[in-house]
Amino acid sequence: MKPVYLGVDVGSVTTKIVTLDEDDQLLFSTYLRTEGNPVVTIQHGLRELSNVSHEDIEVCGVGTTGSARYLAGVILGADIVKNEITSQAVGALHYIPDVHTIMEIGGQDSKIIIVRDGIVVDFGMNTVCAAGTGSFLDHQALRLNMDIKEFSSRSLLSNNPVRIAGRCTVFAESDMIHKQQMGHPVDDILHGLCQAMVRNYINNVGLGKEILPPVVFQGGVAFNQGILRAFKEELGVDVIVPPHHEVTGAIGVALLAHEEMEVTKGESKFNGFNVSMADYHTSSFECHGCSNRCEIAQISLDGKVLARWGGRCDKWERTDSEKEETKV
Amino acid sequence: MKVGFPHCGSAYIPAKAIARELAGGAELIVPPSNSKRSLSLGVKYAPEGLCIPFKLTLGNLIEVCELGADTIIHAGGAGICRLGHYAKTQEWILRDMGFDFQMLYFELSKRKLRDMMSLIKVASGGASWLRILLALRFGLVKLGVVDDLERMVHKIRPRELHKGTATGIYRQAVDAIDMAGSHAELKKIKADYVDRLRQIPLDPNADPLLVRIIGEIYVVLEPFANMDVEVELGKLGVEVRRHNYLSQWAKFSFFLNNIGVDENRKIHKAAMPYLKHDVGGDGWESVGEKVLCNDEYDGMVHLAPFTCMPETVAMNIMASTRENLPVLTILCDEQMGKAGMITRLEAFVDLLERKRRVSRKSEKLARV
Repeated sequence: MKPVYLGVDVGSVTTKIVTLDEDDQLLFSTYLRTEGNPVVTIQHGLRELSNVSHEDIEVCGVGTTGSARYLAGVILGADIVKNEITSQAVGALHYIPDVHTIMEIGGQDSKIIIVRDGIVVDFGMNTVCAAGTGSFLDHQALRLNMDIKEFSSRSLLSNNPVRIAGRCTVFAESDMIHKQQMGHPVDDILHGLCQAMVRNYINNVGLGKEILPPVVFQGGVAFNQGILRAFKEELGVDVIVPPHHEVTGAIGVALLAHEEMEVTKGESKFNGFNVSMADYHTSSFECHGCSNRCEIAQISLDGKVLARWGGRCDKWERTDSEKEETKV
Repeated sequence: MKVGFPHCGSAYIPAKAIARELAGGAELIVPPSNSKRSLSLGVKYAPEGLCIPFKLTLGNLIEVCELGADTIIHAGGAGICRLGHYAKTQEWILRDMGFDFQMLYFELSKRKLRDMMSLIKVASGGASWLRILLALRFGLVKLGVVDDLERMVHKIRPRELHKGTATGIYRQAVDAIDMAGSHAELKKIKADYVDRLRQIPLDPNADPLLVRIIGEIYVVLEPFANMDVEVELGKLGVEVRRHNYLSQWAKFSFFLNNIGVDENRKIHKAAMPYLKHDVGGDGWESVGEKVLCNDEYDGMVHLAPFTCMPETVAMNIMASTRENLPVLTILCDEQMGKAGMITRLEAFVDLLERKRRVSRKSEKLARV
C-alpha cells in the first residue's frame, strides 16, 4: 500500500482532485465540471481515483479547499480545510519556489497573491465584480457558438485587437455585440476582449500592487492562450504557466494536509472510498427564528444530519451527532 | 407623538433610556433590529448606487412608519459626506410611499449637544433642561457600559476554550443593560457581567493576532452591515481593537469637542504627509490610523461601504503608506456574500500568522 495525500479543490465551476506521494510528487489528478452538484462531482472524482489506482493506495491525509471546502471536508473527512488563497500560494511555491507574483483566475473569482521570500505578504481578490473570470469567458464562447478551446486559438490569430470596454461584464458584452454588428472580425474581438479582461484584472484585482517577476499564472483560465498573451503584453515580463496549473489549489491543499499529518502524527480522518457510493442528501430550509430568515443548508447521510451552514447565529451550527455527544 | 429613528449600532439603548426617564412625553418606537427584511425594504426603495448605510437606515424608517411613528429623528448636515443628504432624501422617499410624519433633524456638523437637547425637549413635550440633561447622561452611561463590555469581549473571543461563550454572555448583557432602570441597577449589572466574562475558561496557550479595525463609522458599528466581522475574526483567533465606539463618539461630540479637545487631531496630523484635508466621512481618519498603527498590531481590517467616496479615496492612498502593514479592505454591500468574506478573512489571518512566524524567527536569530 502506497501512502498518498489527497487534495480536493471544489470550485464554483470545476472540481479538482489530486493525490501526492510521500515525496510530494503528483500521482493522480482529475479536473471535472462541478455542474452545480459538488457532492456528486466529488463522488465521481473519487470513483475515478479508486479505478485508476486499484486500491493499492492508502490515504494518509486529506485536505479540501475551494468555495465548497466545508462541504467537501464533511463528505471526505478532511484533516485540513483551507481557503483558496493559501492553497494556491502553497501550490505555486511548490513548483516555482522563487515566485513573486501569483495570478489566479478561476470560474467565479480572480485573485492576485504577492509573495516575497516564500511568504504571502499581500493578496487581492475581485470584490464586487466577476468580469474576466472563467464563467464570463465561457458564456461569451457559448454566445459566439464556439468551444472555449476554440476561443483561445482564434484570439491568437488576431494582430489587430478591437478595444472592448472591460470594466463590467455587462458593458463588455454589449460592447462586443456592438463591435460585432459593425463588422469587426470575431478573432479581433476575442483578442480585444482578452486585453480588456487583463486591464480589468490589473486595475481591479491588482490595485496598484507591485507585480514583480517571476509571475505565475494559474487557474482554469490559464488554459486560455489569448489571455496569457494579453498578460505578457500588458506586464512586459514573462508569465509562467506552471505544470498542472489547473489543479495547483488541490496540490497546495494536499501539501498542507501532508504537513499537517507530519505535525500531528495522527491518523487521517478520511472516510474511505466508500463515500463515493454513499447516499448523501443535501437540503435547505428557511429558519423562522427571527426576521433574518437565514437560509440554512444541511447535508445528511442516512437521515442523520452531518453539518449545517448559513445561519447568522449559532442556532443551527451544532448538528445532531454533536448534540448527542454533549448529552452523553 | 410617536417617535421613530434609524439604527446605528447600539444607539437604541440610550434612546430607550432617555425616553423612559422622560416618561409622559413622546412614545418611542424602536425599529426592529436590522434584518434581511429591513435590508430588502431599503434596497427596494433606495437608488441602487447608494451605500448600505442608506439602505439599512431607510429600511429601519419604513419599519418604524409601519409601526405607526408620526415623528422621525434623523441625523444630517453639511460637510460630512453624502450622509448629510440622507435624511432629506429618505424623507422624500417615505412621503412618496405615502407615510405621513414630521421629520426632526439632528445636525451632525455643529452644536451637537444643544441640537440633541432641543430635539429631546420637543420630543418630550417640554421637559425641563435639567431632566433632559440627566436623562441624556443616564443614556450615555448605559452606552459606556455596553462599550466597556464589548472591549472585554474582543479580548476574550480569541482566547476562550469554547467558541461563542463570550458572544452569548455579551448579548445577554446588552439586554440586561437595556432593561436597567437606575444607575445603581446598572452598576450591579455591569459588575455581574464583568464577573461572568472573567470566569470564561481561557486557553492558556492562546497567542492571538492583533488586528485594528478602521473605516466608515456606520459599517464599523453595525454588525449586520459588516456581517459580524469582529465575531468572525474572534473565531479565527484574532483579537480586534478599534478607535470608533459610539460612546467615544458621543463623549467627544457632545462635550469635549465643545471645549476644544479634538480626539482626531493626532490622527489628522499623521495623515498630513499623504492627505492634507478632510475628504468627508472617515476617509481622513482611515489614512491617519494606518500611519499611526504601531508594531503591536499584526494588521488592519478596513471596512467601507461599497460606493463610499471618502473610503475609496482613503483606500487608494493607504496603499502607499506603511507598505509592510497588511490591510484587508472589505466592501460592505447587500450583494456581498458571507462566504466570500470568510474566505478573505481566513486567507488574511493565514498571511498574518505566517508573517509573524517569520519575523519571530528572524528576531530569534538576531538575538543569537
